[in-house]
Amino acid sequence: MSLFEGLRFSGGDTPIHRLDPRAKFVLTASIFTAAVLYFHLLPLLIIFLIQLPIVAAAKVWRGWLRTLRGGLYIAVLILVTNLISFYFYKGRVFTLEMVEYSLSMTLRFIVLVASFSLFFLTTSPDRLSLALEKLHIPYEFTFAFITAIRFVPVLAEEAQSIIDAQRARGLELERGGLLRRVRNYIPILLPLIVNSIRRSLELAEAMESRAFGAVRERTNLYELEMGGLDYVILMLSIALMAIAIYIRVFHPNLGAFFPSV
Amino acid sequence: MPPIVEVEGVTYTYPNAEEPALRGVTLTVDEGEFILLTGPSGCGKTTLCRCLNGLIPHFYSGEMEGEVRVLGLSTREHPPSELARYVGLIFQNPDNQIFSLTVEKEVAFGLENLGVERGEMRRRVDWALEVVGLSHLRHRLTNELSGGEKQRLAIASILAMRPRVIVLDEPTSFLDPKAAEHLFEILDLLNREYGMTIILIEHRVDLAVRYVDRVVVMDGGLVIVDAPPREAFTSPKTRAVGVAVPRVLELSERLMRRGIPLKRLPLTPQELLEELQGRLRGDGGWSGGEVKVEGAEPIIEVIDVSYTYPNGVKALDGINLRINRGEFVAIMGENGAGKTTLVKHFIGLLKPTEGRVLVDGIDTSQVTVASLARKVGLVFQNPDDQLFAESVEEEIAFALRNFGYSEDVVAKRVDWALHLLDIERYRDSSPFTLSGGERKRVALASVLAWDPEVVVLDEPTIGQDYAQKERLRHFLMQLRSQGKTTIIVTHDVEFVAECEPRVILMAEGRILADGPARRVLSDVEALEKASITPPEMVRVLRKLSPYGVPCDILDVEEAAKVIAGRFRG
Repeated sequence: MSLFEGLRFSGGDTPIHRLDPRAKFVLTASIFTAAVLYFHLLPLLIIFLIQLPIVAAAKVWRGWLRTLRGGLYIAVLILVTNLISFYFYKGRVFTLEMVEYSLSMTLRFIVLVASFSLFFLTTSPDRLSLALEKLHIPYEFTFAFITAIRFVPVLAEEAQSIIDAQRARGLELERGGLLRRVRNYIPILLPLIVNSIRRSLELAEAMESRAFGAVRERTNLYELEMGGLDYVILMLSIALMAIAIYIRVFHPNLGAFFPSV
Repeated sequence: MPPIVEVEGVTYTYPNAEEPALRGVTLTVDEGEFILLTGPSGCGKTTLCRCLNGLIPHFYSGEMEGEVRVLGLSTREHPPSELARYVGLIFQNPDNQIFSLTVEKEVAFGLENLGVERGEMRRRVDWALEVVGLSHLRHRLTNELSGGEKQRLAIASILAMRPRVIVLDEPTSFLDPKAAEHLFEILDLLNREYGMTIILIEHRVDLAVRYVDRVVVMDGGLVIVDAPPREAFTSPKTRAVGVAVPRVLELSERLMRRGIPLKRLPLTPQELLEELQGRLRGDGGWSGGEVKVEGAEPIIEVIDVSYTYPNGVKALDGINLRINRGEFVAIMGENGAGKTTLVKHFIGLLKPTEGRVLVDGIDTSQVTVASLARKVGLVFQNPDDQLFAESVEEEIAFALRNFGYSEDVVAKRVDWALHLLDIERYRDSSPFTLSGGERKRVALASVLAWDPEVVVLDEPTIGQDYAQKERLRHFLMQLRSQGKTTIIVTHDVEFVAECEPRVILMAEGRILADGPARRVLSDVEALEKASITPPEMVRVLRKLSPYGVPCDILDVEEAAKVIAGRFRG
């Protein structure tokens, strides 16, 4: 679960947090593109390292590292699967190229997770929704998105209370065979569903009372305007993407330890 | 000036309901009034609130007769989203009315929906946060707020829309006493300084009566009393439906019966002091009766226990506690003091990070939750967190089957529990169709069914009306007289004052005080540290303490006796 926890915005106010979500999105997209383009260790390592100063500037080391740690199991899985499949594919031999390729695939995954994490850790969903509105995505959609994020912790807390309450009535989740174990979850899921239905009714009432849908043209407390730093980041991101594509197309083996792969 | 709210002969039936929830309600409210709306659960209070901002008939279909007008606007012709500019509605559960992730964004939500221009919006958001005292938390995530802060945020969010009328439906139910008092002060400010009209549904009448101009009592979908507080609470009609009455009024009536003439019946400690000033003798001694020592055989022992949650929050810090067989204990403290964390240790749901918890001599870290649950029955605050079965009967049988009782024992136990909680008539009903109070009793029955040696009730009085609390209190007394060890976790001071158990006062994961209720609840300094307000009787007696009246009396009759003994005319 820590993989997802690291994706949750938890406040903060640094220049990185204040960046326009659109500029940050282009940055993330360019890192994403670059990572997908390359198969080699060195370029992927560079792409990874590029993110470090941004993480430092945003002061989100803890959350970021937690995401990476959460992704570790999957990373190891990718590494091992790659190595094993190569081992058999190439006729039961290990070569350094295979090791580099497998490591690269693993690193690519880590880079992708890291860039996603950086985006979500430093982008308040409120501002993200504003960016989505600016991109003419219907408000109902962004509202649903925000509400979903808002209620994740509430639901988690509620699920814990339900589990505690049923365990206090002698429910043992780990008891019995597979079918029995699945059935054990009914006393947990049912109250959770019923409570959610009840809650959605209350929420709808509260929305009405707050004039939801009163006027067609909603306004917004925040303004989203691209500032100087936003343009700089935007330019750098586009440049990064351009360079990555250029090198990949015209010098495909640059930076590869083993060009033959 | 025409009245700001006019309700004329409103009868309303919810869709699929057989009986109308309102039967011809008529009520007028003038601008600037502060009204307390009260009545037993199911009397139609909440339904009436829903009529005031057009939720009925726009959001709820069903049949509505009669007319509701707010500032002259008919609620039939204007939907809630339009009426929101004039009437703000605040609900019981703070969590279910917050949509945004950050505080100031939440306050802006209604204004954004109304299309208010940004500069004006900024001004109104800042003003609303200022009024409720949340300016310093404007960038905070809404999830990180305490219950009291969340409810103040809900008020700010409504305030920002600058309504003329604010309607609050039991806004303090989930709050601890300090937070509730703070909320009342804000409402008072809005009423006096900004001239807002306030309609409040509330069970904490002792507090409410200090501020309100008028009391409206409902029963069975009708307004049965509509008068200033003094008349309303002394009316036989009010007494007959069984709603809470301010304790000072109750005390004053008992004083009158003891032959002490009072010019007007006081409603608050201050008013009582004004009546009695100079009329009491300041001499003579009185010592409170000693509370008897309970059986000395321990059933729960907590030894040097600390507990830290996985997220690093230290919830318990060096707790030492011994609860004897047959004791009746109340664990008190504000939300977040560690009360629930502590009782979860009694049943092994949490294992101490440091120290040991022994239940009947067995270390809880050595055994499963299920085996501890047989000895310690824990009833959670919200019955909806556990009800899931098709019928009440099945619901009660659930735990018994988990514990492996044979079917004939299960049947016998279910019968016994249904009888004990007086819910036999619901045997075949689905728990989901029952009312809140009934669901609470089913949840209680489903735990008492296996007759655990210790019964722990987490916040049993939340959302309960006067009659339900009285019933609960009698039930607890019954358990006590049967010698069952009973533990309640609560911040309901008045309820504890009436039960007079042993009180354990907690704050920040530590025990601040531990002793008989009358001693702990009159220890104002300890209460202050625990952010608990003293019970109304203690407040009254403290006002009279210059006359040498002892402060450690919780019972109204006893207080009346002591005060009467000092009366000199």
